Parts: sequence; C-alpha cells; structure tokens
Amino acid sequence: MYRIRFHGRGGQGMKTASRILGTAFFLEGFEVQDAPRYGAERRGAPIFAYVRASRSPIHERGIIRHPDLVIVADDSLVPVPAAGVLAGVTGDTLLLISTTETAATWRDRLNLGDAVLTLPAPPEVEDRLELRFAGAACAGAAARLTGVISEASLEQALQEELAGLPAGVVEKNREKALEGYALMAAHEGRVKAGAKVSARAYSAPDWIDLAFEKARISAPAIHAALTSEKMPTGLWRTMRPVIDREHCKRCWWICSSSCPDGVIDIDAENHPRIDYEHCKGCLTCVTVCPSHAIRAVPEHQAVTAEETGA
Amino acid sequence: MTETLFKHMRDLPSSHLLGTGTPTCAGCGGLQALHQIYDVFGGKTVFVNAAGCMTLLSVYPFTPFRGSWLYTAMACAPAGAQGIRDALDILLEKGQISADEDLQTVVLTGDGAAYGMGLSATSSAIERGLDFIYLCYDNEGYGNTGQQYSEATPHAARTSTSKGPQGYPGNKKDLFSIWAAHKPRYVATVIGAEPLDLARKIEKAREMPGPRLIIALSPCPTGWDFSPDATTDIGRLAVRTGIWPLKEYENGKVVHTRIPRKRLPVEDYLKRQGRFSHLFEPVRKEALLAEIQGRVDAYWEGIEG
Amino acid sequence: MMRKLLTGNGAAAWSARLARADYIPAFPITPQTEIVETLGNWIDNEQLPARMVTLESEHSMITAAGAAAATGVRVFSATSSQGLLYAMEMLYTVAGWRAPFVLVNVSRGLAAPITLEPDHNDIMAARDSGFLQIHCADCQEVLDSVLMAYRLGEDERVRLPVMVNQDGFYLSFTREPVDIPDPGAAARFLPDYDPENIRFRASAPVSQAVAVLGGAPYSYFRYESHLAARQALEVYDEVAADFEAEFGRKREALEAYRTEDAEYLFVQLGSFATKAREAVDRLREAGWAVGLLRPRLFRPLPEEKIRQALAGRKGVAVIDQNLSPGRGGVLHAELASVLFGHADMPSILVSFIGGLGGRDISTEEFFEMARVTRRAVEDGKAPPPRLLYTETELREVRKLQAIANAERADLEKKP
Repeated sequence: MYRIRFHGRGGQGMKTASRILGTAFFLEGFEVQDAPRYGAERRGAPIFAYVRASRSPIHERGIIRHPDLVIVADDSLVPVPAAGVLAGVTGDTLLLISTTETAATWRDRLNLGDAVLTLPAPPEVEDRLELRFAGAACAGAAARLTGVISEASLEQALQEELAGLPAGVVEKNREKALEGYALMAAHEGRVKAGAKVSARAYSAPDWIDLAFEKARISAPAIHAALTSEKMPTGLWRTMRPVIDREHCKRCWWICSSSCPDGVIDIDAENHPRIDYEHCKGCLTCVTVCPSHAIRAVPEHQAVTAEETGA
Repeated sequence: MTETLFKHMRDLPSSHLLGTGTPTCAGCGGLQALHQIYDVFGGKTVFVNAAGCMTLLSVYPFTPFRGSWLYTAMACAPAGAQGIRDALDILLEKGQISADEDLQTVVLTGDGAAYGMGLSATSSAIERGLDFIYLCYDNEGYGNTGQQYSEATPHAARTSTSKGPQGYPGNKKDLFSIWAAHKPRYVATVIGAEPLDLARKIEKAREMPGPRLIIALSPCPTGWDFSPDATTDIGRLAVRTGIWPLKEYENGKVVHTRIPRKRLPVEDYLKRQGRFSHLFEPVRKEALLAEIQGRVDAYWEGIEG
Repeated sequence: MMRKLLTGNGAAAWSARLARADYIPAFPITPQTEIVETLGNWIDNEQLPARMVTLESEHSMITAAGAAAATGVRVFSATSSQGLLYAMEMLYTVAGWRAPFVLVNVSRGLAAPITLEPDHNDIMAARDSGFLQIHCADCQEVLDSVLMAYRLGEDERVRLPVMVNQDGFYLSFTREPVDIPDPGAAARFLPDYDPENIRFRASAPVSQAVAVLGGAPYSYFRYESHLAARQALEVYDEVAADFEAEFGRKREALEAYRTEDAEYLFVQLGSFATKAREAVDRLREAGWAVGLLRPRLFRPLPEEKIRQALAGRKGVAVIDQNLSPGRGGVLHAELASVLFGHADMPSILVSFIGGLGGRDISTEEFFEMARVTRRAVEDGKAPPPRLLYTETELREVRKLQAIANAERADLEKKP
C-alpha cells in the first residue's frame, strides 16, 4: 500500500492535491482513500491531507502514521513542530519539498540522506498564500514518484477534480501538475509501497488503567486566564507587517484598534509595537494606516533580514 | 449616564485585554469587534457561548479571556446566562459572595444562533428582563461549517448552499427590529471598522441594567471571499454605502448614530467580495444590483435629512 | 417529623424544600407540573427562600440548571417524557460540566402516539447521558431519594447530576402517607453545597465546558465522568448508611424482597415493582420460592450486588416497562450482560415487556410470568420475549380501528 501525506497551509490546495492524486490512483485501478485533516486553525495555518492506494482493499483508516511519501508544499512549515511534517518519517520515507533551496541543503538540515527531493518553488512568490497552484504541482510530482500513474490519468484526474472552476484556472493547474510530473521523471517509481504492520513482532501499546481523578482536576475547565497566548499564531503568517518608525505619525493608533487579533500595543512614546509571536499576518494594519507607515514584507525575507541583522 | 469616555479616537484603548493566540482566521471581523468590545467590558465578565466560530476561542487548555467562559450549545446560550445571573444574584443576596466577585453576563453567539436556533431563547430572556448583554457577531452565514446560508445571509450572496447564478434567494432577517420589538433596555448595531461608535455603544450598554443586545456585522475573509487585509475597508464600506446602518434602540426610539452624508453606491461594497462576484461577472446582473440598491434606498428614505 | 398524605409530586416538592434548593428552573409538563406549582406557591408565600424561573423550553431549563450549578448554587428541577427528550442535548452536555444538581423525572410514555400515561422509555433514553439515575417505587422513596441524590451527586468523588425517577399517575398523582423529616435532620444529613473550584467568581477566572481537539483529551474527560459514576456505587452505600442512621429507612442500591431462598426472581424497576411484591407474597403462600430484585440505582448499575443476589438462582423474569424497537427490553439486555461469563448465574432470563403507556400489570400476570419462567427452567430454554397483552385488549383496539377505518378486510380476517 502507498501511504502519502501532503502538508501545506490552509488555502494552498492540499485537499485538492490529495484528491487529484487519489483520483489518479483510482483511474489506474487502485483502491483509494483520500481525506483532508482540519484542526481549529484557519487559513494560513498548517493543514495536511493524505492518500492511501493499494491493489487490494484498504482496511487502514485515519491519519497516516508511517508515510512512504511526504510532500511539503510550503517549506516554511518543515521546522514548525505543530505542522507535524516530519511525524513518522523514517529512513524509508521519501520527502519531497517545494522550495527555492537545494535538495542538498535540506538533506543536511534534516539529516535524512538522499531521501529528500525538491520541487522548485516559484521564487517570485511574495506571499505564500499565493501558492495557489502548489497543490497541483505537488500532485503531479507525487504521481510520477509512485511510478504507477500515467500522465493521461493525472490529467483526467485533474479535470475531474477541478470541474466547475474557470477554464483559465484549470489550465494553469494542469500546466503546473504536468510540470511537476515532468520534473520527477528521473525519480519515477522512487516511492515504494510500504509494508503492512506485522503481527509477529510488534511493539505493544503502553496501555494504562486510567485512574479516577476528582472533578476539580478532571472537569473540562481552564482555571486560568490568557493561556491562549501560549499559541504562537505568528507561525501562520506568510507576510509580515513592518512599521516604519520614521513615517509613523504616532496618531490615534488606528492600527492597534483595527487589528483583529489585538497584537499591536502602543508604547509609552506612542509608538505602535507588533507582537510577531501572535500576529497572523492579515495586514489589516497596512491598509488602515493613514500615513502608509506600515508595509508588508514576505515573512521568509523578513526572517532572513533578521538573521543577517539587515 | 455620564458623558462618554470615548470622545476621540485617541480615547480608545491602546493596549488590549483579550488574549492573543486564538484560532480565528486572520482578518476575522468578528474578533476585531470582540477585542474592541472586550477592552470596554474587561475581565469581570462571564461569556456564555453558543456553537459557532467563537466556540473555538476556548479550546482546552487555551483561553484568551481574563474573565470567565461557559460553552453551552447552539440554541440556549441566553438560558445559560439566565442560570449564571440568577445564581450570582442568589449568592449576592445570601451574602455568600461579595459585590466585587460579581460578573457581567455576556452571551456571545454568531448569527446562526442569534437569528435562528437561539432566537426563542433570546426572546424569552428579554421578556424575563434578564440582566445581560447579548453580543452577536454576524458574518451572515454558518461560517464555522463553511459558510452555508443562515437567516442572516443577505439577498443574492453566494454561500456554500446558494451557489446558483442568483445567489441566496432570501433576505436578511431584521434581527435589530425583532429584538427591539421586545422593548429591551438597549439594542445597537456596531462594526469593528468604526471603533469609536462601537466603544461608545458598548460603554453605554455596560452601564445599563436589563437586556442589552448588540449586533456586530463581522466581515469574514473566509466566508465572504476577500483578502484578510480588507476587513476594515469592507466594514467601512458597509457603513458608507448604508447597507449596515449604525443605530441604537432605547426607550422605544431608534436613533441612527451615523447617517452617511453621501451614501456610496452599494456595489462599491458588493464588488469587493467574492460572494457577490456573480453580480458583476461574467455579465453585470443589473436587476439584482438595482434590487439591492433599492432596498438600501428605501431603508434610508425618511431617515436622511 | 411530620407524617402526611402526599402525592409523589408533593413528596418531590418537599424534598427540594428540605434540600434547601436555591434555584429552580422550570417548565410545565404533565404529569410533573404539580411539583413546580407547589414550589412556586411556597416561594410566593415566603415558605421557601428559593428563586424559580420558568424558561421557554426544557432545553433552556436544563441549560439554566447546569449554568447555575456551575456558578455554585444548589439547583432542583423536574420534567417528564417529551420534555426530557427535548432537553436531551443539554442532559449530555451539563453532565460533562461536573456541576451536580437533581432533576426529578416523572416517567411518561413517548410519542408517537402521544400519551400522558407512564412507562420508562423517557428515562431509558437518558440512560447514557452521564446523569446518575435513582428509580423510586413509592412516594416516600421519592422524598428520600432526592435528599440522597444531592449527597451523592455533590460528593467530591462523584460531582455528577442525578435524576430521580418516579412513575407518572401511579406515583405522581397518588397520595400515600409520607414521613417529612425535620429541616434540622435534613440539614444534618445534607450539608450546604460546596462548589469547589467549579464556579464563576470575578477573582478566579475559569473557562468551563470548553472544546477539545483530538481523541486523547476527549477520551480522558469522558472516561473520568464514567469513573466518577462508578465511584458513586461506593459513595451511594455510605450515603445510604448515613440516611438510615438519620431517618431509620434502608434505601439500598438494590432492593431484595423475599429473595433469601428464592429459586425464581422477578427483576423490575419503579413503582410497578410494588405490584411484584404483592405477587411474591401470594406466590409464597402458594408454595413458590419466588422473590423480587429491584435496582433503585440504575446508573451506576450495582452489577456486583446483582450478581451476588442472582447467584445460584434457577430463573429470572425480567419485566421491562420500556421498549427498544428492534431489540426489546433494555433492562433484560443490561441484566444479560451483567451475568454473562460469571459462574453460578441463572441460565434462564425470560424477557417480559409490560406496562407500556400506563398499561396495568395484574397480579395474575405476575403469577403467569413466574410459571412461564419455571417452565423455561425445566425446558432449559427461555421462550421468546412476551408482550403482556390480552385478547380482550386487542378486541378493544379492533373497535377503535373500525372507527378509524383501518383496513376492514384485514380486521375481519383476524380476531
């Protein structure tokens, strides 16, 4: 059975990617499961979707714990623990990352040997949420890596899954999917169908006898305030608002009042300060600033600038 | 009522009480209004929530509140507020808690609960004179489940259950008037894009006893299909085109707190949102646009001086 | 102590008064209404320092009850039948808040067809809600059980809401002599409510009943509720011992009536079990070794006590005043699962469905059920479930059907 997991952000088409791949397998005569997995998080937040495909009926269900192939549409998610990109990844797992960096860089970084492949991400993308066609490219690449999906099946799957969208959008997706398919030609068939779990030797679950605990502990209640601040929603951000202190007129803090998440505070000198740990990057502040003193910078550039002290 | 603390924009809070790190979408117009409202209410509150997007504000073990919270179910948040208010009053009367342990009871629901499933419970809470504030963040659809149309969805809007060429065939229910018909202490419409108007109304509501009900139109990037940075722009346009009148009900009278000097055409508001794009592409649906504009014009007739 | 003639509803109202309930969310429904009417009158006449509010539905009523309990006051409420079902979403919900209160349910059959008369399908529908359940056989027991229910539910080892069930008409509207304890004795038995850390106060922010993501926290919270309900078995015995010490009445989790040397046992819930007692007495006179087991505590189910009581018996007649369509009697299925796999358990469990929608069960029918059970033991095989229903009754229904113009041809073929 093939076990394949797609990771991206809400809005980058991971569900569509999993469906295109699922349908492509199906057209090739496979039994298939595909499903997206959502949490409480929203647009811009990490999500994943998965596909199982097998020549025999599939009895597994739910999240894929030991993937044979992991495809990452947005490389900024790889280091984010909450995204779970590397969950269950072993030496037998192939990792395909859509990135502007080289495979060698990622191999070193992740210490994963030659099991890392890259798909060139469009370098001109400012805001990663604009990676609208990332899903199609990933689906195309994944199809080739399995070695069991023809280009025709991929195309047909894409047409079926995108039916109803404007013709231009479908065409652009088709282009991207075929590009992804072509780019992986040298690696055709690299993904090997994973083995089934053996009942002869397995690690037993560490079951416990759940003990009774009094309701003061075991009621679903939070006996504290402001604990949400432990959630680093800044990770959702793909574009960063940056305040130009020169141009900021230190007005009546319309940026602070308007920020949906309330992440802009005004300091003693009336300078606004953005809490990047929690700013989700909606950029409302950029549009409301009367003196245009806030600009949007791609997050990866901002991070690089920070790291290099620029 | 003493004079407002919020005379100018610079009187608005410059640091905020609601915690960050919530799972609402980037650019959420509901959260924009809520954090502004929370700045005025403060932490001596217990929010009673019905099923909706905001239910996910408090997901174990994370909460953005300084005060308290109770999730009930979709239909019955006002009844939850009733139980809490009554219990606090009992404890106060019996001297089992001191006055500074008291809490303001705030119902927080979306439009799905407010306009539909929870309307009966709200009607009854008002009728009983419950001392509470009802805060409805109205994003004009069942947003938490993917924006199916609700009883708050405007005419012609595309939702995930009204994808046809004409959009949603129904008309947005006039919840303000329905609430006001109960003659509660106070009803107001607000929007996060007009924070000063909002702060004055919330400040006013905070000081009153009895049922006080607030509807905050909540531009929703996800459900209305616009870029998250446009939340405030779209909110301002809702006011300036007159499609979202800012008003309050008190002592049997409705007063408009903001009468647009020169109303912009309503399509300025509509065309910024993907949910209305079928009104403009591939061809302009003149009849529908005229119908929507006509309703807005009819509303303001006699109100504009 | 006063001894007065009280209906089951009157006894329920008295129990709320003796429990010093602070808050009574209400909604009228037959045959429960008299409870809230009585409490309302006492409040109006300043005989009861409580606050009552009538909500617009039972769904809201249970929400207000749970919310008030979660704020830290003692709450009493009552409902019946359709009302209990209308509240069902909130029964499950508030049980998870771990904020205890007592709800009296006056059992009444469920629609369709709609009826006012009793059976246990309403309370059985709430079986898995997380509320504990105590089932009463007479009016005294209603009063006693509510007081015990507060002690049980409020115990820090339990912290769950409790339903006390009484049968509509047969108890709710039937007067019997009832001992009404002195308020002082009631207060000794049931001290003031301690909400612990489950309450709303400005100085201690708490977010209650919050959402969870994922199966690990969900399983934990749900299973802890279950473990708390299981703890209630032990706590119940302590409460019953205290109750007996204070009031002299034994209120065991499992009532055993003349079971000492019994070979055959009736097992039944609720007020109709007193009819079974009568039948047991008559059968004993006729030389039968017969007894009755009546679980008062249905959630948690006192399984070990049931097994001990049934060990070595020959046969059991389970009388269900409920019907799970497509399955049969709920108590029968529960009992079978309690006995299965244990040594020395009776191998014959005969299922009888009776008393649906207030249909009476005659003493002769109990005799016959005993006979059927004995025969099954002799045959070594239980007969199929039997609905207690007579030819005379069918004839009555045929007359009704004739007026209702049901298919005449079919009616004429069969009697």
